[in-house]
Amino acid sequence: MFRSAIARSLKASAPRVIKTPAPFHIRSSPIAARVPQFTPCFAQGVRLYSAPAGLSKTEAEGRIVNLLKNFDKVSDASKINGASHFSNDLGLDSLDTVEVVMAIEEEFSIEIPDKEADQIHSVEKAVEYILAQPDGM
Amino acid sequence: MARLSGLQRDVLSLYRKCLREIRNKPEVDIGTIRLRRDIYRAEFQKHLSVNKKDFSTIEYLLRKGHRQLELYATPGIRNIR
Repeated sequence: MFRSAIARSLKASAPRVIKTPAPFHIRSSPIAARVPQFTPCFAQGVRLYSAPAGLSKTEAEGRIVNLLKNFDKVSDASKINGASHFSNDLGLDSLDTVEVVMAIEEEFSIEIPDKEADQIHSVEKAVEYILAQPDGM
Repeated sequence: MARLSGLQRDVLSLYRKCLREIRNKPEVDIGTIRLRRDIYRAEFQKHLSVNKKDFSTIEYLLRKGHRQLELYATPGIRNIR
């Protein structure tokens, strides 16, 4: 009876002993390698506040191109690329352009004032504008 | 695209306001948003044939559009059919 109680208390205390040092070890250390179930959940899936939040040019461009592909009024979907002009290449009129710019606003959760929105006529211009915004995401 | 005249910019700005207004209404799913967008779009498309030099007509339509939008934007109005 005594022995089983000791075994039980050991069992109960054992994980606690392992758990406490785990977050302080980086993955390459031998102890962290022995208890791999703690490190991955700590290392992955967490975006630190100090992580760079910036938006790369290719990512912004890709998201706009995807958005245009889903837009039903584009006359020739094969012409959509990073340099397409809304009215010359894609056959959109001025009202469509307004719709595209609004969709871009929603996609990147920004608000584009009318003055700037009137200047955006191509994917290139839109990317340029978004990258200039501090709070685009 | 050629540079837009002031009146043309006013029309586009009204269209933008209309689209923003759709988002302000509560309880919208994607189908209703599309439907409302089509309604606004059709309203603008009705007058595509207006000559861009026909200032008085365009100004009249702009005033009418603003008034209509104001009406739609009141919180009592839930939906447009």
